[in-house]
Amino acid sequence: MRAEWWHRLVVTVLLVLLALPVLATLAYSLAGNWGATILPDGFTLHWYRLLWADPRFLTAFGHSLAVSVATLALAALVIVPAAFVVFYRFPALDRGMNLLILLPFAVPPVVSSVGLLQLYADGALPIVGTPWILIGCYFTIALPFMYRTLADGLRGMRLHDLMDAAHLLGASTPRAFVLVVLPGLRKGLTASLFLSFSFLLGEFVFANILVGTRYETLQVYLYSVRMTSGHFTSAIVISYFFFTLVLTWFATRLGRQESQV
Amino acid sequence: MSFVTVSGLAKRFAGATVFENVGFSLEQGEFVTLLGPSGCGKSTLLRCLAGLNRPDAGSIHVAGEDITDVVAQRRGIGMVFQNYALFPTMTVEANIGFGLKMQRLPGAEVARRVAEVIGLVELDGKQTQYPHQLSGGQRQRVALARALVVEPRILLLDEPLSALDARIRKNLRDQLRDIQRRLGLTTLFVTHDQEEALILSDRIFVMDRGRIVQADAAETVYTEPATEFVARFMGSCNLLDSADSARLFGRTVSGRLAIRPEAIELLAPGAAAPGDLPATVREHQLLGNVIRYQVESLGALLLVDRLNRGRDDVLAPGSTVGLRVRGEDMREVA
Repeated sequence: MRAEWWHRLVVTVLLVLLALPVLATLAYSLAGNWGATILPDGFTLHWYRLLWADPRFLTAFGHSLAVSVATLALAALVIVPAAFVVFYRFPALDRGMNLLILLPFAVPPVVSSVGLLQLYADGALPIVGTPWILIGCYFTIALPFMYRTLADGLRGMRLHDLMDAAHLLGASTPRAFVLVVLPGLRKGLTASLFLSFSFLLGEFVFANILVGTRYETLQVYLYSVRMTSGHFTSAIVISYFFFTLVLTWFATRLGRQESQV
Repeated sequence: MSFVTVSGLAKRFAGATVFENVGFSLEQGEFVTLLGPSGCGKSTLLRCLAGLNRPDAGSIHVAGEDITDVVAQRRGIGMVFQNYALFPTMTVEANIGFGLKMQRLPGAEVARRVAEVIGLVELDGKQTQYPHQLSGGQRQRVALARALVVEPRILLLDEPLSALDARIRKNLRDQLRDIQRRLGLTTLFVTHDQEEALILSDRIFVMDRGRIVQADAAETVYTEPATEFVARFMGSCNLLDSADSARLFGRTVSGRLAIRPEAIELLAPGAAAPGDLPATVREHQLLGNVIRYQVESLGALLLVDRLNRGRDDVLAPGSTVGLRVRGEDMREVA
């Protein structure tokens, strides 16, 4: 088959192109001294040891995790019931919701952060420079991922029939929602949570402009140490990449399981 | 007093009347079918009974208690849906036990009653399977079991057999009737299939455009249709206007004269006696055990059913035949 080797070639080239920067970064993060030679003079875990012993890195990583987890907890708490109410009681609102969830994408982060700075620098709610403004801001980023997934899930099940059946068997609306509807959304929801999580962990613009070093997150830290050592920043990128990779793998696994059911 | 009494029930959706001033009663243990074409309001009527839709007027009494304003979960009414509405993330057992769990019964009793009803609907061995692993017929039996296990006062069935293929439908239909009789369960069944209605029901309520146009025993609805609509809806029927009726049978009618195709006797050439109508065969259709002839008699076209007794017995188009109809098989309808 002539077509087959051609297909393989295209895929291989693509994979190499995509993997090359990551592999190069990985090699650089493990390299001892890599100056005027083609290959480094040796490999070492020195940069990782240095990184994982740096309290500033650990704090920044902890901040990133805290903000992301708090955002997603808030998002799950608000968006799941909201999506349910939209589909169960006010299906006409779905169109409005679809428009609403596009807004965070319509305005570039640099532009909206200027507005947010003005609004929240002082006045009734002076939260610029605190994690709270990031949580609120990240909520709008997580909203489209989660709402879309939930909307697909709710559309895919016979929501009204299931609710009717549960009601007739004696369940109240909240109980029917928790026992019948939620389990059907769980896997899609988990997958969208993981995807949003990896996305939020990599967010830089809002974090840098709205909060900066006052509550340093991983990306802001990475930015501030970019001049120190290439090996060191490579170790950060690879650590972060590995973390995201594991999460994404986990999310796709959950997604696959769902499609089998 | 009847077990279930519905009176003056009305429902409107966005200004359009679905049904109005509907009233009927059900006796305990009775199997009644709401029969009508799609869009006649029968499903909405059923949903009002279940408490899933709120009627705009009228009242519903069960065992003397007014349940018009009682929410669905406290009515003690079971329902089976056309598309099963099984809980997809629960096993067969969990689906069936759901209602009992809502009543907060102890686990041992839930298990015992679930096992019992699984035996009743013949689902042994499927306890731990999920709905998507079951066939349509099995799913519908899970849905039936789920409705039965809570021992409802009334069982509502909303076209439960329509989504199944013919053979399974027949099977499940017979099983359904059997279970209903055994449990003595007051049952209201909604369908647009007149054959299903005739086989299953003690009584049939025929619905047309939001009104119950006839409520009678199954046999009566078929043999003595009250209106032209009922006559047409319940199988095939010859409906003669007053001119044809007078010319053929010497009867004057204000509405129409209804005669079932199988009530007309088709007499082979030569067998006709004086008093029989002369007729000519136009064409015939093989329906299986019956051959349906279209014959013309004195300018009127009539359908006549005759048992299929083999190739030699078929009357060719153009044959001259005689028709004989007994007076009691002719019925005037509005």
